[in-house]
Formats: sequence, structure tokens, C-alpha cells
Amino acid sequence: MYHTGSFVKGQSLIYYLDPRLKLAATVCLSVFILWVKPPVVFITGIALFCAALSSGISLRTIGEAVKPLLFFIILILFVHIFFNENESGVPIKNSFPGLSFSLAGLQQGVLVVWRFLCLIMAAVLLTMTTAPSQMIAAIKYFLQPLKKLRAPIDEFAVMIMLSLRLMPILLVEKERIDTAQKARGYNLRRAGFIIKIKSFLSLTRRVLLGVFRRADELALAMESRNFQRGDRASFVELKFTCSDYLVFFFLIFFLIIFVALNSHFG
Amino acid sequence: MIILENVYYKYEPERIEALRGVSLQIREGEHLAIIGPNGSGKTTLIRHLNALLLPASGKITVGGLNTNNPKHQADIRSLVGMVFQNPDNQIVGMTVEEDVAFGPENLRLPTTEIKKRVAESLARVGIAELACRNIENLSGGEKRLVAIAGVLAMRPCYIALDEPTAFLDPAAAKRILDIIDKLNTEGMGIIHITHNMEEAALTQRIVVMNEGRVYLDGTPQDIFEKVVMLREIGMQLPRITEFLIKLKESGFPVRTDIVDMEVALEQIRILTSGIKD
Repeated sequence: MYHTGSFVKGQSLIYYLDPRLKLAATVCLSVFILWVKPPVVFITGIALFCAALSSGISLRTIGEAVKPLLFFIILILFVHIFFNENESGVPIKNSFPGLSFSLAGLQQGVLVVWRFLCLIMAAVLLTMTTAPSQMIAAIKYFLQPLKKLRAPIDEFAVMIMLSLRLMPILLVEKERIDTAQKARGYNLRRAGFIIKIKSFLSLTRRVLLGVFRRADELALAMESRNFQRGDRASFVELKFTCSDYLVFFFLIFFLIIFVALNSHFG
Repeated sequence: MIILENVYYKYEPERIEALRGVSLQIREGEHLAIIGPNGSGKTTLIRHLNALLLPASGKITVGGLNTNNPKHQADIRSLVGMVFQNPDNQIVGMTVEEDVAFGPENLRLPTTEIKKRVAESLARVGIAELACRNIENLSGGEKRLVAIAGVLAMRPCYIALDEPTAFLDPAAAKRILDIIDKLNTEGMGIIHITHNMEEAALTQRIVVMNEGRVYLDGTPQDIFEKVVMLREIGMQLPRITEFLIKLKESGFPVRTDIVDMEVALEQIRILTSGIKD
């Protein structure tokens, strides 16, 4: 099962693109999605959707990526439909006391949700096709200028790597303690609210203690492998190839067309 | 050569004395097992060998470099690699090759050299095919091999392993022991903590720790001959030695300083041929 934000191995062109190009393109695309007017944003969304499908990302995976955010999507739509007024400020129909259904609100809601879905699609396309190490290398590359201000860029990159590494361990630790409690006959379903809160706090305390212990050991292990503050070399080689240049010019070309379309509709 | 001279260490804030005047010399290329009851100071001792812990008093030198000198610590950590008991607490990378590359990255080597070392280390431990695998999808034995490869990528002269076969099935444990043996044959010094007496019997030298002190030090034959002393601190003998002792106690004229299965079989062959005659 796909978890939003995780990398999935694949073979399509997008997997082999330089992570810097992918990261920069995603950031620019996100700004573009929030900036362009309705007709262009819909075309952009469709283009993104086609790009995702051609990269080997299935509809099911896209659905799984959207699923955890479904509540927020519905909430956004709901807020726009019922708490927005049409252009003249008059509600179209009173559905519930104190709530007014507005057609303009519906249009606005659909547009906002579409933009939101486009952003999710762009992020999924980036994270699913870029290995974490490549992503970290790209982030490190773009943060390089901050080194002049003595910002600890290398440490920051290691921190991202460690948090990605420790996240599953945290879940395993929680699962382990949970199972140990159940094995001793502890049934939370039958417990009252206060007991549930107490149990949650106790579980949190144990998970945190376990994580701190692991973090201590990990720090020692890193030290034993000569980790020190300051510059580090990188295993990931960032290299712009022919296909990167081609994709770069292709994106610029489409950006110009979309900007022209946007000003035409504006 | 690693030299420990009268090393003391206390864990703060409880002020538990973990090492009490340990003196040892470990030669290059030596295969040394450290055994002893829980809390006897085994892990604390090997953590001193690559300057993760520094002695409260006494002195440790690795290849002539003093671990107390902060300028030498990076070099010492490249000379003595450390494999921790739980690989999950040692592995930093998301994938096998990323983790193996962590040490060389810290040494600030060029990318081509890092890639070369990663491929070489993975091949040495026989897991080249796992290079791109996610760490979370590996078995316990495979994770140990990744941890060993990560240390090998730093090209150390010694490798200290804290219970490398703990919680592994016999096949995975044998795979690890074969690799340790191969590394030792290639000239690498091995310092190997274990609770398994059969594993200890395979080494060239055994150091028995008890209450932070070196209790016994010698060849496996020397150590396992001192049955009473070992039993006093709750240690067991290799099963084959136990068997020979039982035979001797039953009146059979066998040697009891044997830790090797082949030699023991030879003894039994001699014994049974005598009975036939």
C-alpha cells in the first residue's frame, strides 16, 4: 500500500531526471497553480494528471495519496459552499438555518479543491519518483548559498535523513508496546475515557523513552563512524544529463504557452 | 597494536564503576573473544577502543594514537570499526548503499571513491544484490551484514563486534561467523563480544571479564580448562568440553582442554579403539 509522500521504485523517464530539476519544477509549478486563472488551472491539472499516469503512477496510487486528505478536501468544499455569498452578496437558497447555499461559493470551492488536488498531484509526482537520498541531495544543493551565513546545511541534510529513518522505528516501537499491553490482557475498548487518556499518556511516555534510548545509541553509532559537524561528502552524484536539459526546455516552453493562455483569459 | 593500561571508567550520574583497572594488549590480525556475565564491562570495554568512551583514568593507544587526544579520535575511529548489538540502532541510511556510504561520506572522500568502497564492502559480506533495498525490508541477519559492511567501508584495521549473532537463527549466525572468520583470515583484527562459548572457542584468544576487571586471559584451551573459576562467575563451557569433562568424571581417560569438535572426535576414536582392543 502506498503511503503519501513515500518513494515507489519505477523505470519511467521522470525517475531518471535530476532531483534538482524535479524539485525546482515542483516549487515553480506550485506557485503557478496558485497564481493562474480558472481555465488554465484546469488545463494544468489535466496535464499533471497525464504526466502522473505516463510516469507509471496508477489511478489507485493517486487515490491512496488523496485519501488521507479527503477530510480536508470535503471541509474546504463545505466551507466555500455554505459560508460564501454570491457576487451580489445574496444567498441563493437557505438549506439550513444560519447556512446559505451559494452557487458562487460552489464555483469557488471547486476551484480551490482543484488547486489543492493539483498541488497534491505535483507533490506525489515528486516524492514518488525521487529517492529520499536524491531529494536530500537536491535540498542540500539549493541551500548551499546559506553556507556563507554559516548555516549548518550538512547537519540539516543528516537530520532529514534521520527523521525519515526513525519514523518507521517510532511506529514499530508503538506497535510493540501496544502488543505487549494486549498480551497481558489489557483491553482499551472496555475502558472509560479517563483510563483511555491515562493509557495514551503512558504509551506516549514509553514510546518516547524508547525513542530517546534509540536516539542515544544512534548518536553513538554515528560518532563511531566518524560523523562530525561540518562538511560531508555525498554518495549521491548530481549530474544534469541530456534528458534533463530536454525536459527543462520542454517545461519552459509549456510555461510560456500557459502564461500566454492565462493572460488571454485574464 | 591496541594497548590498554590500567583503564578505569565510571558511568555518570549513578557513578557505577564499569571498568576497574583493565590492562590488555590486542595485536593486529588477532581474533579475540570477550566473554563474561551481564554487566561485567564487555560493551564498555569495546566502546573505549574507538574512543566512543574515554577512560576516567589510565591510557588507551590504538596504533600509537592516544584516545584521550581529541585530534586523534577521527583517525582512531577509522582504525577501529564498531558494530553495535542492535543493527536498527546503528543503521542511518534509508537504503543499504546509503547506509554503507555514511562512513566514507564522513571521511569526505570523493563520490567515485565512496561508490567504489560501497560496492567493495557489500561484496565482501556477500550482499551486493541488496544494494538498493530499503532497510525496513531486510531480515535481522541482513541488517547485521549491512552494519558490518558500513564499518568495512571505512577500511579499519580492527573491527569490534558486540554480540553479532545475538537473536539470529543458526543459519544467519553461521553466515556472520564465516564472514568474521574470512575478515580475520584477510588480516583484520577482530574483537568479538559473545555469550556463546562455541563461538568463543573458535577464536585465538579469550578475555573473560568480571565486575569490570580482566578475570582470565588466554587461549580457548587455557580458559576452558579453568572450569571452577568459570563456574564461579556463572559462565558455561562449550558443550563439547562439558561432554569430555563428564566422560572424565565417569572414569574415561580423556583430555578436557579440548574445544574443537574434530579433536574431540579423535579423542573418542582413540578411546573406543582402546575399548575394542
